[in-house]
Amino acid sequence: MSETITLADAKAVIENQIEELARRNKEPEWMTKIRYRALEAFERAPHNDPVISEEQLLHFIAKPEVEGIPEHIESLEDLPAELKALLDRLGIEEVEQKYVAGLAVQTDTGVIYNQFLQEWAKKGLTVLPTEEAVRRYPDLVKEHFLRLFRVDESKLTAYHTAVWNGGIFLHVKEGLKVPFPLHLFFLIQESALAQAPHIIIIAEPNTEFHLIEGCTAPILVRHSLHLDMTEAYFGENAKGQLTVLQNWPEYVHTRPMTRAKIGKNARFINTTVGLGTGKSNTANPKYWVDENGYVELNGILLGQKDWYVDLGGEMYLQGPGASGINASKAVIMDESTVITRGIITAEAPRTKGHISCDALLLSDKSRMETYPGLVSKVDDAELSHEAAIGKIREEELFYLMSRGLSEEKATQLIVKGFLEPMLKDIPMEFLVEIRKIIELAVSGGM
Amino acid sequence: MLKVENLHVSVDDKEILRGVDLSVGQGEFHVVMGPNGSGKSTLALTLAGHPRYKVTKGTLLFDGESILNLGPDERARKGILLAFQVPPEVEGVKIIEFLQQVLVELKGIDPAEAYDAIVKKAGELWFKEDDLHRYVNVGFSGGERKRLELLQALLIEPKLLILDEPDSGVDVDSLSIISRKIEELNRAGTAVLLITHYGRILEHLDPGTFRVHVMKDGRIVMERGGEFVNEIEERGFQAIFEECGCDE
Repeated sequence: MSETITLADAKAVIENQIEELARRNKEPEWMTKIRYRALEAFERAPHNDPVISEEQLLHFIAKPEVEGIPEHIESLEDLPAELKALLDRLGIEEVEQKYVAGLAVQTDTGVIYNQFLQEWAKKGLTVLPTEEAVRRYPDLVKEHFLRLFRVDESKLTAYHTAVWNGGIFLHVKEGLKVPFPLHLFFLIQESALAQAPHIIIIAEPNTEFHLIEGCTAPILVRHSLHLDMTEAYFGENAKGQLTVLQNWPEYVHTRPMTRAKIGKNARFINTTVGLGTGKSNTANPKYWVDENGYVELNGILLGQKDWYVDLGGEMYLQGPGASGINASKAVIMDESTVITRGIITAEAPRTKGHISCDALLLSDKSRMETYPGLVSKVDDAELSHEAAIGKIREEELFYLMSRGLSEEKATQLIVKGFLEPMLKDIPMEFLVEIRKIIELAVSGGM
Repeated sequence: MLKVENLHVSVDDKEILRGVDLSVGQGEFHVVMGPNGSGKSTLALTLAGHPRYKVTKGTLLFDGESILNLGPDERARKGILLAFQVPPEVEGVKIIEFLQQVLVELKGIDPAEAYDAIVKKAGELWFKEDDLHRYVNVGFSGGERKRLELLQALLIEPKLLILDEPDSGVDVDSLSIISRKIEELNRAGTAVLLITHYGRILEHLDPGTFRVHVMKDGRIVMERGGEFVNEIEERGFQAIFEECGCDE
């Protein structure tokens, strides 16, 4: 960092981006007003990131390190060869041909659909870029945009709100059950913009869906900071899954912000597979759970090199009988640090919460910390936690090797086995890719 | 095939084997007996290449070459297989995937062919196809664990099969199937080195077909024919050691 950047410098850059976004998106005034309100909040909001200093943040905003290949993309055919290859490897095209899954690729300015998704749109499934949803469904967006966050909570929420661009608006109409997982890929092309997609999920009562966000490689532009925000709303008896696959390049700091309101009898399973978590990744998703609702946060974390991963998770069990599980499994190698700190707060009778944290350390310099938090405000809540941090057991390794597997192959098998129970809800085509990435990471770390 | 000479082995700087001599020829059947703590399991684990068992002295030849500097995986590839006394649980690893990988690596056959072979042999050891999707040894009873070890032996068809107490913690029915399968492997040409406390597992065998080695304090102190098992069963180790003067 050669020059000092002031708050005023950063504000000026943000203001320019707001103007550009308003123009590009042909944005209604109310949204641009929200952006300006966020710009004001940015100045006074606190900054409390464990890794990025305020000075660094201002630098990221004003002088982003960008390089990339911006190019107009309208259909799957226009995708760069490497991304197409990735989709092929994931079996996406094959899956598509079999008409069992929905795929939408999100670009800066649009969503590439397949035919199949368009059919489902008629039944009440809306998948749109958030920008377009702002124009087409203003009332619905107003009702759900930034309702689970306060703009001035931190400099990061304020910055995100001011410059958000891209992201998905997913709306599942009452009673609609989507029988296939929806695959979304982010493609970020415009180098001048901050990477701040905003995702809104509205699952009306009695719906079912599974959304898979694959960030597995589609970064066409180099950026130092990625700030996405997800707001999810589950109506009564809605059942939804959000699976996020992260495979960020190692120079990027990612700050995913996820929050969800879970209605009566609703279920939300939120799984994060952090294979490439980037230089640093800190997240503290929050969930508010109503009567007999259920939330599950599953974190699969692979710490490599000098990466810093900090996964929190706050669950507020607000209705009688609500329950929540925060479970993580981390494989940590090299000089990586992984921290988990879930908090479950029981605010209503007969609520249940459980935090579990397992970690496998593959090197002497890898580091794991876990801080489970259980808070009970009622007398009949059941709250518990367990943690197990350790290395690969010598007996297991010897057993597998005595069957002719090399140390590398045996270690890969043990690591995959360690993570296996957490991967239960992930579709086969992703599992293949995930296992491959784990194998490569283990080999590289040995 | 296997030649052990004056083998001394230490674990955590404590000497356990103090000069073991043992020869096993191709297709032969040898039984090692001895009281608790005499070093039987140490011998088995040392032959398989456990990293905590350090050979401090002596030679260990397999097919005429020293295997002292080979890792457990390399020894397995040469044809040595140890059926564990207490096989560990390997969480999250399905039996079928594990065995397929082992057969692909050791025998170079393709996964589909391996799959068929595994399912077929598994049936012979009372495993159903569903069982093969359980995790390796996780939640297994003693009998199941030992049958899974035998299943691996049947599939791998090693040159030398070392069995460390295949009869401990096993129900009567499992014991009989295990004993028959050991015999079957031996007849097909696998040399067997069987470690046991009791003679029961040898009941079906013709005493003329195997040799018995008795271990005491880290050495093999006696070698006899198969019928000696009955004598040990009847009189116990203590009496036998007193008589042979091995007890000083």
